[in-house]
Amino acid sequence: MAELDNLITKKVADRYLKREVLGEGTYGVVYKAIDTKTNQTVAIKKIRLGKQKEGVNFTALREIKLLKELTDPNIIALIDAFPHKGNLHLVFEFMESDLEAVIRDRNIVLSPADTKSYLQMTLKALAFCHKKWVLHRDMKPNNLLLAADGQLKLGDFGLARIFGSPDRRFTHQVFARWYRAPELLFGTKQYGPAVDIWGAACVFAELLLRRPFLQGSSDIDQLGKIFAAFGTPKPAQWPDMIYLPDYVEYQYVPAPPLRTLFPMASDDALDLLSKMFAYDPKARISAQQALEHRYFTSHPTATNPASLPRPPQKGDSNSKVPEFNPNEGPTVLSPPRKLRRVMPNRSDGGEENIHNAEKLDDHVSGSRLTAGASSSRNDTIPMSIDFSVFGSRPPPRPTINSADRTHLKRKLDLEFQMPE
Amino acid sequence: MAANFWTSTHYKQLLDQEEVDVVQQLDRDRGITLEDFKLVKMHISNYITRMAHLVKVRQRVVATAITYMRRVYIRKSLTEFDPRLVALTSLYLAAKAEESTVQARLLVFYIKKIYPDDIRYRFDIKDILEMEMKILEALNYYLVVFHPYRSLTQFLQDAGMMDLMQFTWGIVNDTYKMDLILIHPPHLIALACIYIASVSKDKDSVAWFEELRVDMNVVKNISMDILDFYDGMKNNIEERVNVIFSKLPSRS
Repeated sequence: MAELDNLITKKVADRYLKREVLGEGTYGVVYKAIDTKTNQTVAIKKIRLGKQKEGVNFTALREIKLLKELTDPNIIALIDAFPHKGNLHLVFEFMESDLEAVIRDRNIVLSPADTKSYLQMTLKALAFCHKKWVLHRDMKPNNLLLAADGQLKLGDFGLARIFGSPDRRFTHQVFARWYRAPELLFGTKQYGPAVDIWGAACVFAELLLRRPFLQGSSDIDQLGKIFAAFGTPKPAQWPDMIYLPDYVEYQYVPAPPLRTLFPMASDDALDLLSKMFAYDPKARISAQQALEHRYFTSHPTATNPASLPRPPQKGDSNSKVPEFNPNEGPTVLSPPRKLRRVMPNRSDGGEENIHNAEKLDDHVSGSRLTAGASSSRNDTIPMSIDFSVFGSRPPPRPTINSADRTHLKRKLDLEFQMPE
Repeated sequence: MAANFWTSTHYKQLLDQEEVDVVQQLDRDRGITLEDFKLVKMHISNYITRMAHLVKVRQRVVATAITYMRRVYIRKSLTEFDPRLVALTSLYLAAKAEESTVQARLLVFYIKKIYPDDIRYRFDIKDILEMEMKILEALNYYLVVFHPYRSLTQFLQDAGMMDLMQFTWGIVNDTYKMDLILIHPPHLIALACIYIASVSKDKDSVAWFEELRVDMNVVKNISMDILDFYDGMKNNIEERVNVIFSKLPSRS
């Protein structure tokens, strides 16, 4: 019961020495700190309590719940959590940079071996999540964090979910648009790990091209960009497509040879890429299969993480949140993340929609903090509860309440004469 | 049983009966016995179920809420953690963790409806939100819980006993009035419930159980625990719980 003892002695805020603020995260301020217990540099997320009087932020709770289950070298570690002055604080391992910063930095040359290493670590993280029945649902370069030792770690589990029951319906409003799989764009509510693979494929392509691969300006345009790259899917390629909720027919375009889009990539890289970009989610390669693809055994060998190129340290303030400087040459920025996640005008999403509404609120309060802009949004969350039923039921009754319990017990005991 | 149970924090946190059956010193000082302790937890489980029906959440949320409550009382006393507030907050937190959020003010609204006069049950939003943080800490932030329900369906299908579904489901619900979920892997609880159901409905399931490669002694013990529990069910629970509650500190 070492854990119990542990529980009593820790959870004191003065375990951590606070350093500078790193940025504004999804649901609160992130600052750098030193863990005096381990002398490790950590990043502490202070979770803002919602104005809604709804306690611990829903997104934060998801992240806590899943990260406590996911311990892996390629997944960001949640080191500790503690309440302090009424706010919940999450302690993560400190990450120097992220893959978006690497891709964007024009001074960095990525060799084929480097790309292979980054993709391998990404797929390892996904394979681990999927083995644990967790969908990440927000794959994109700036959620692939880079540790000081070069390890890539999947972060931001604020959109992640457990997908254990195959028949549960999920929202399709996940992922930044450019990384969203075609089945999500066609409105599917039943999906699986293949959506993360599509996102990882987009990251792979982005590593090869050094710019986002499919930059759609709307959901319709996103599908257009996908079809322009891989050809409009034929029914034989993806039989279930025409049954998807938002399916619309697109004008047929043939697929250009993949080689023309990625002139520098090896044959093995292109073969893996095409399998990760398979239209039919059922036919799309899994993370584990992808790791076993010959791309990872063929020459060149993936670069050792410690030797990977990384963006230069900008003094002490080099943070996970890259600064946007419009004068720094051609910069490729993802669209602002909140806008892509939130669909405030949809009213058919059921419970998921409420969560989106919460996220929207976060965003609103966040931008108010930073930009000082005033917002007149009314924050009432739609109620999905039927108020007409007030009749309280009697306490739940035990299922077996007949007089023959003892009889049953005797019978049970007899039946168990089985030899071991 | 999902393949990942064995690597989950739920599995790592399973306890022995003796570790669960510990009355905290603060409670013992107030004259709370082990039997009292179990009775309060049962009463609170019923209360959670009742509230859950009003706010309409899935059975899974109810089961998770009760599990949270029972885990809290492994480490915390009834004296410090008012069971009526822990019940509400566990439900509130479980609903969030199971992705079907229930608003705190809705819970507060229903308590006023069902306990218009009993202030001992009355809490406001602020109380729930403060307790949420304390419960998270008491749970050491472990929120993923597995339940017997999913394996139950798979087992019954496999055994060709789907007609026992409703009956067995009811027995599984009843197991949450005990601490079984803290002690045994959920699929073994499911098997014990199936065993009881099949025997009581005179279904011959012995051959099927023998093929399962599970430790039937454990299944048998769980079955006996469940039947013992049914035996011990008395009618005057409400009264007895009121007596116990009067030993706890009263709210100002």
